[in-house]
Amino acid sequence: MRQIGEGKRPKSKNRNLLITLPVFLLGLSACSRSLLQDSSMTEATIKFKDQIVVDLGWEEYGFFQRGFDPTQGWSWNSYSDPLFQSRLFRRDAERGLINDLAESYRLSRDRKVWTVAIRRNVRFSDGSPLTARDVAYTFNTYRPEIDRYFLDRAIATGDYEVQFHLKQPDITFVDRMASVGIVPKHAHNENYARNPVGSGPYKLVQWNEGEQLVIEANPTYYGQSPKIKRVVFLFTQGDAAFAAAKGGYTHVAKIPQTLAEQPVAGMQLHQIKSFDHTTLLFPFIPYTGKQNAQGYEIGNNVLSDRAIRQAINYTIDRRVLVGAILWGYGSPVYGFPSGPPFQKPAPAIQDADREHAQQILLKAGWQDTNGNGMIDKQGVEGEFNLLYFASLPEQQGFALAITQMLRPLGIKVNAQGSSWEKMKHRTHRDAWLYPLVTRPQDLYSLYRSPTGLADGRLNYSAYANFTVDQRLDQAMNAPSELDASQFWQQAQWDGRTGIGVRGDAASAWLVNHHDLYLVNQCLDLGRAGKPSTGYQGPLLSNITNWEWICK
Amino acid sequence: MKLSMPAIANPRSRLQGFSLNNRRSRTLLLIALCLVVLGVLLLGTYLIGQAGLDIALSSRNQPPSFAHPFGTDWLGRDMFSRTLHGLSLSLWIGLLTASVSAVIALAIGTLSATLGGKVDAAITWLIDVALSLPHLVLIILVAFAAGGGVRGLLLAIIITHWMSLARLLRAEVLQLKSSDYVQLSSKLGRSPLWIARHHLLPHLLPQFLVGLILLFPHAILHEAGLTFLGLGLPPEIPAIGIILSESMRYLSAGYWWLAVLPGVVLLMAVQAFDILGQSVRALLDPKTSQG
Repeated sequence: MRQIGEGKRPKSKNRNLLITLPVFLLGLSACSRSLLQDSSMTEATIKFKDQIVVDLGWEEYGFFQRGFDPTQGWSWNSYSDPLFQSRLFRRDAERGLINDLAESYRLSRDRKVWTVAIRRNVRFSDGSPLTARDVAYTFNTYRPEIDRYFLDRAIATGDYEVQFHLKQPDITFVDRMASVGIVPKHAHNENYARNPVGSGPYKLVQWNEGEQLVIEANPTYYGQSPKIKRVVFLFTQGDAAFAAAKGGYTHVAKIPQTLAEQPVAGMQLHQIKSFDHTTLLFPFIPYTGKQNAQGYEIGNNVLSDRAIRQAINYTIDRRVLVGAILWGYGSPVYGFPSGPPFQKPAPAIQDADREHAQQILLKAGWQDTNGNGMIDKQGVEGEFNLLYFASLPEQQGFALAITQMLRPLGIKVNAQGSSWEKMKHRTHRDAWLYPLVTRPQDLYSLYRSPTGLADGRLNYSAYANFTVDQRLDQAMNAPSELDASQFWQQAQWDGRTGIGVRGDAASAWLVNHHDLYLVNQCLDLGRAGKPSTGYQGPLLSNITNWEWICK
Repeated sequence: MKLSMPAIANPRSRLQGFSLNNRRSRTLLLIALCLVVLGVLLLGTYLIGQAGLDIALSSRNQPPSFAHPFGTDWLGRDMFSRTLHGLSLSLWIGLLTASVSAVIALAIGTLSATLGGKVDAAITWLIDVALSLPHLVLIILVAFAAGGGVRGLLLAIIITHWMSLARLLRAEVLQLKSSDYVQLSSKLGRSPLWIARHHLLPHLLPQFLVGLILLFPHAILHEAGLTFLGLGLPPEIPAIGIILSESMRYLSAGYWWLAVLPGVVLLMAVQAFDILGQSVRALLDPKTSQG
């Protein structure tokens, strides 16, 4: 292979083929590898009604690969069911708050102390009782990597009562209590992530890292015992999940949109609205000659103009993005996504309206004065870079489609694929496509003015609006999620200002992604095949209700 | 005594001499054909311009047709245009990296053999170490260490492709050094560098050219391979590796044209370079050039 100019000609051909073949076969072999390995999961093993095989696909394995320790961030799909552990609260099908371990709770007048009474007679899967000390230990140990976290300390004030003292009021702490699984203090050590002990509906039986996970119903679980007693999770790569479903090896299989139209005998397509969204974040501040520590300029004289941001929002055709890039399996969003049922979504705008966008630009002084096809204003050309994650194909599609949609407006967009390691230093300079799992606290994190905030998943745009800050703070100070809701909405648009399109148009929210699953017709997931307009929750959020319905 | 008339050159004799039964003529014809193919690929982007590279969301995933000989991709881009642009880019990268690599090989191979001693031992050791490592792994490591992207891609290919040619040229120089005229030149007091410049380099040129040409297909395939693995060019650039990588997602959906047609064209280009290199060697090598 390396003997250039030596050897006989046929060898040279072979050399080239040796290099060429991997290029073609790499993807195929990657696809088939897991399937072949998983084929040991024979049909015989999945015929039992009490056991199902769920292929979540390789993309989901990122949630599993670090193990099952909630204090290190474990919970499937970012903040869904931790399976092996139970939480203080859960979300119902309407995303309302319901008690799980908690029996009651109250919030102090200063909104900084949460007191939660927990169930008695709850036991971990090793037989030991779950007390307030375990709850306090869990929250004191839990440290999210990238989120802001206002907990100062958690104190067990009795065997079955715990207090959470916050550094400052934070109504979104409810969401923490509804997502963090409780670990046993006595059994929590460096091996816990691989040998979890919890009080959740399931317990871990077997974990072949990178391949499969086997869980069984926890006999000591205090809640409704799962109807499916044993679940095998597979993490196949590429199109192998689809092939496995087609071959009858799995009962639930997450599939890519490209294969959704292909019918599979005995299985039906389930489309589940996820919390995954894609938004276009703009740098909010103008360029004043400053640079960051990495040498990148801070600020953007085009995107810091509200008219440009509004024009972009009105020009983008979100339905086309959903139809073409997501193959129709998604829905358009026009502002920060709705959360609980009492939180209304951002009002839809009439997008794909180029004329309206042109009027906005003209009114703000943006027009093509030098005949180069691009609008300009005071010597600044209407051009900006749009960064996207190169590893995510649909993000490339969004970037190129937006580039094309904005061209007739006279705005030149330079789409550039990149990685987070590079992009994170350019968020104050360039627009970028942010694929994110939205949570209530994100509205605060993304738009609260940056003063005093540390680095992390926070206000990437350097957005600042005093009124919006006030609304966000009012929401955080609210006595309940319901009370906070009105302030979250006012932060988006209060009739005069806000982060929404009619206000500062701080971002261009684009789409909500839907997850696609092939589900065995004999398996009732307790939800409709088509996404409802309301909340359904991620796939595993109601796994205890799944039921085998065929005789 | 009859004097035979001297043969008058027939204007058609050159053409008549160009027979396909003649090995030299066949080689020349092959070279010409390869050059035409490669010329078209290299200049293809200038011939067809940017047409077809823009996305057209209303005509996505169309199979090959007269309007789109290679079909369209998931964003409605014309695959023929993308393939031609991608291959052109790959060839330019191949030309650049192979040329720099070959020059490095020439310099190091010549220095190693000319200076000898510890320098020769060190360079030989370095080459042996580099060649003992798995080639593709070494390339990926270098590309990764250089931060990926275009810079990583170029550095990885350049750094990992000079060793074989350098070893070959070193052996050639050692052979030349033992020849009478080089020995005589040395006895006359010429410096090693003077000898290298005036006696060795001219003899090395044919080997160098052949080595350079044969480096092209390696460089092209490694560019495609690295980009396929996500360590090369950014995805908005129409590169062959990216095209093939993207196509993997659609094979199960039945969009075969996304992988097969660009792959075949890539193979043709690589094979053309291979034939070109072998043919040039056949022409320049005294043992095979007679005909």
